[in-house]
Amino acid sequence: MRDAFSNSLVKLAKADPNIILLTGDHGYALFDEFRKQCPTQYINAGIAEQNMVGMAAGLARTGFRPFVYGLSAFVPIRVIEQIKIDVAHDNLPVVFTGDGAGFVYSHLGTSHQSMEDIACTRAIANLAVLSPSDRFELTMCMQAAYDMKSSVYLRMGKSDRGDIHSAVPSCEIGSLSNVQEGKEKQIAFLATGSMSRVASEIAASHYPDAALWTVPFIKPIDESQVIAICKRSSAIVVLEEHSVMGGLGSVITEIASENCPIPVLRIGVKDRFSHMCGTYDYLLKEHGLDRDAIELQIRSFLSRQVTACV
Amino acid sequence: MYMTTTKIAFDARILRKTILRMSHIGKTAHIACAFSLVEILAVLYRDFVSYPKNDPENSDRDFLILSKGHGVMAQYACLKELGWLSEDEILNYFADGSLLKGLSDSRVYGLEVTSGSLGHGFSVGVGMALGAKLRKTEQKTYVIVGDGEINEGAIWEGALFAAHHELHKFMVIVDQNGYQAMGSTDEILKLHDLQSKFESFGFESITVDGHDEVALKDTIARLELSSSTKPKAVVAKTVKGKGVPFMENDNLWHYTRLSPEAYKLAVLAVDGVVK
Repeated sequence: MRDAFSNSLVKLAKADPNIILLTGDHGYALFDEFRKQCPTQYINAGIAEQNMVGMAAGLARTGFRPFVYGLSAFVPIRVIEQIKIDVAHDNLPVVFTGDGAGFVYSHLGTSHQSMEDIACTRAIANLAVLSPSDRFELTMCMQAAYDMKSSVYLRMGKSDRGDIHSAVPSCEIGSLSNVQEGKEKQIAFLATGSMSRVASEIAASHYPDAALWTVPFIKPIDESQVIAICKRSSAIVVLEEHSVMGGLGSVITEIASENCPIPVLRIGVKDRFSHMCGTYDYLLKEHGLDRDAIELQIRSFLSRQVTACV
Repeated sequence: MYMTTTKIAFDARILRKTILRMSHIGKTAHIACAFSLVEILAVLYRDFVSYPKNDPENSDRDFLILSKGHGVMAQYACLKELGWLSEDEILNYFADGSLLKGLSDSRVYGLEVTSGSLGHGFSVGVGMALGAKLRKTEQKTYVIVGDGEINEGAIWEGALFAAHHELHKFMVIVDQNGYQAMGSTDEILKLHDLQSKFESFGFESITVDGHDEVALKDTIARLELSSSTKPKAVVAKTVKGKGVPFMENDNLWHYTRLSPEAYKLAVLAVDGVVK
């Protein structure tokens, strides 16, 4: 996925000399190819994210197309006000890429972990929020972010969970991407980022009739498509490596409750920080986001629906 | 290089009276922090900032950014002199549905950025100066910051960047009126010697009387003629509330609204009729 990011960026930047990559002293080795191929389009702004985002606004105002790279704990979280006022207020064409979202930096603790970024960014007017699930979606999202010519936050989480798609999906801006069609009156899985992989595994193992959609566009999102999914399904299970407050689960719940009320299970990070140090898989377990715990949540949720209906 | 061709006087007394008119009509605060930067803006608009075809959106313009958005009434007063704001817009200040806000907003024709949350405009200006440098244009960037504003860390992040990347056509002008919202800068967060501070960050810097238009013009011109690749910093010593003696150095006028009587007295004071 990180290779796809680098390749996409190099391709876009070679085609458009107005692209400027700004990094806040992050991305060791990630930008080797970019620096080799587009050396004049690379700026390390130092460990100074606030200034970096303000400068990106200034560059956009003078006709450049900045891509701002940082860890998602810092870009967008540390600079949320600069993004709001300097960039999004005028919908300037700046793409923010927040890498390492979720628990990627599992050993480093809360400062480098990011569960709040979708909730914070999607409340900012004009700002689009993209969250690819694999390298193919990432390639599609990078092109979309460039084509949108507006303010975009692109979230990149755990990058080595494997592919969901077999080729770059052709996706309209805002549309969901279908992985498994499923049958009517069955549950539908809606997943984004790193959780798409486990969603597909669980669906394949236990719910062969379920629908599975990935959601690369958190905002804008095609509401009519979400409503159609709600209408044909018995219940929705949303999975994300993000807080259940304000993330994709909230997006789907908001649309469903206003248009087609249906039970929605939001699987994500509860209202807590990580306590322990450990591997990525260990932290998923700590937060109840390992495969076994997710399966248990889904079973419990579905049995509650049956009880409720009786 | 585009030369400034405007013949507009930018008479400081007229600008201050426009500010008073706006604050009286709109019943607004922030009079004193607008008064301290009147001469700075007058000199920049009259002698330095170039707007080809008198268009603040012309892509070849110089960039003037009011990072201390609280002083925006002074800039509105200048925009009126430039013909970019009408008397009606001035007289509608703070009316429902009017565009002119109490802090700088990029949607106003002639204003580059949205500021007021402090410490933003400086970095946007650094980005614009960087953009001009990358495009190899002669465009200059001027950013006006308040001395209270430079409590903000982002300013110093930007200062490091501007110096490191030798953005020599970038100039910051500090409106050093000695006050911020809750009191004097000395009481709240000492700034020490600003000129040496900017020099230590890699700027070429001069301190000047921010109400002496001749000295301001000479200082800015001197810095622009410098062959150094350093960015430039003008530390303009100013007086908060300058021009109306009963407002000068009285921080109440950061917040106080004008009564009809105070308004009349203030106008007379600007005209030099009463002290």
